[in-house]
Amino acid sequence: MRLEAVGKRYGLRQPWVVRGVSADVPAGRLIRVAGRNGSGKSTLLRVVAGVSLPSAGKVTGRPHCGYVPERFPGGLPFPGREYLLHLARIHGLPGETGRRRVEEWLERLGAASYADQQLRSMSKGMCQKVALAQALIPSPALLVLDEAWTGLDQAARAELDAAVGERVAAGGTVLFVDHDAARLAGREDERWNFDGAGGVAILAGPAPVAAPRVERVTIRLETADAARVIGQVRAIEGARVRSVDVEGADVAGADVAGAESP
Amino acid sequence: MTALLRYQTAILLRSHRWIFPLIAYVLLIAVGAAGSTSLAETLDWSGAMLVPVVAFLTRAMLTAEPDAARACVCAAAGPVRAQFATLIVPLGAGAVVGIVAAVFDVLAAEAAARVPGAGLGGKVTAALDHPGIVAGGLLIALVCLLVGSAVGALCNPPLLRHPAAAMLSTLAAIILALAAGVSPANAAISHTTAQVASPVAAHWPGPAALLGAVILLAVAWGVSVLAATRRDTWSHSST
Repeated sequence: MRLEAVGKRYGLRQPWVVRGVSADVPAGRLIRVAGRNGSGKSTLLRVVAGVSLPSAGKVTGRPHCGYVPERFPGGLPFPGREYLLHLARIHGLPGETGRRRVEEWLERLGAASYADQQLRSMSKGMCQKVALAQALIPSPALLVLDEAWTGLDQAARAELDAAVGERVAAGGTVLFVDHDAARLAGREDERWNFDGAGGVAILAGPAPVAAPRVERVTIRLETADAARVIGQVRAIEGARVRSVDVEGADVAGADVAGAESP
Repeated sequence: MTALLRYQTAILLRSHRWIFPLIAYVLLIAVGAAGSTSLAETLDWSGAMLVPVVAFLTRAMLTAEPDAARACVCAAAGPVRAQFATLIVPLGAGAVVGIVAAVFDVLAAEAAARVPGAGLGGKVTAALDHPGIVAGGLLIALVCLLVGSAVGALCNPPLLRHPAAAMLSTLAAIILALAAGVSPANAAISHTTAQVASPVAAHWPGPAALLGAVILLAVAWGVSVLAATRRDTWSHSST
């Protein structure tokens, strides 16, 4: 999946909520999206999940996506189980397959006992489990979690941590926002920091590349002086520049500056 | 798409949002059947009354799903298909209701024709002997169905999100659609008033009315779908 200068605003005269986010999102990544309240995290997650289209730029190569919203108020006229069966079908899992996956996730999240209760009579935590189950049912290659842990009991939180691990291990991409800094600490591969003005800085995470020998690393970066940067990279011991590919030389495009890849 | 349609149909049936429009329609049809003098006229009335019914069914569906639930569906199936499904279901429900009403009109007219001296001289039309009347009536109903759906799509979320503004403009647009000369629904209905001289004459909507209704629907749905892909929140309260 790839984000190309993605921007989002709600109306032509409105300010940009997110602006100029470019990123390659390879498979098998766990990405933490960080920033203070109102900095545009939820908006970017919605664009990445395909819930709403970006106002500028584009998202290409988005795999099948499961999305857990910030709040899931159970305003729908269904019991939980019936809602999940509908969502399984919408995710492309009809009949017995869908039924099995629904039961599996209700069981894992500890929601099976009240799954036949009407959504509108469920508590916040119960609704949150239903919201989680609908996203996890299809084993999506892209899982987007917008503060999905809030309201969950201890067991369900641990189960969600495990589910995230399974998705990443299976080659899926997981993007998450959570205000608890300890959430999945040390496990994320990348961190996208919102600067509060619509911009995002993409930082590689603490986890090193797990391979005995790395042959080729592709680094996309933005610079005003490519020759100088390439010279500095060449100066690094043990590194060799194989090829240089200039993607877009936009002289006047300072205001659509993309992500930084330090 | 089938899964989405099933989901939206389940929301419509389970939320009981169909009850008010249906009861209103039944009352309107009963009034129309009692007051008109020929089968063609009755069918005109039944068709015209589809405009408010479908408009309000569409409104019911466009406001039924909470934002968060819609977001989950959009991630799974894409916002375009999700919005189309939301618009197709009330249109389909309106079509079913319209056909049932037409059958009722035909049966009522036949029953009235069989009663000797019932005083409804004009209702002598045995519908099966004049399939043109029924076909013309169904076409008028189709025009009104499309116009009603367009009105519902244009005057409600995601295009008009304030509840009071949406409600009032839906009502105003329904009246406009039925009364204003430029409306395809009005053209379809009033095209016939010149011919009511004979109670056995079929009423046909003009081709312009049909074409107009199709174009209106395409534009209204297109704008609604476009807005649905750009918006994040639908309800007025959240921003």
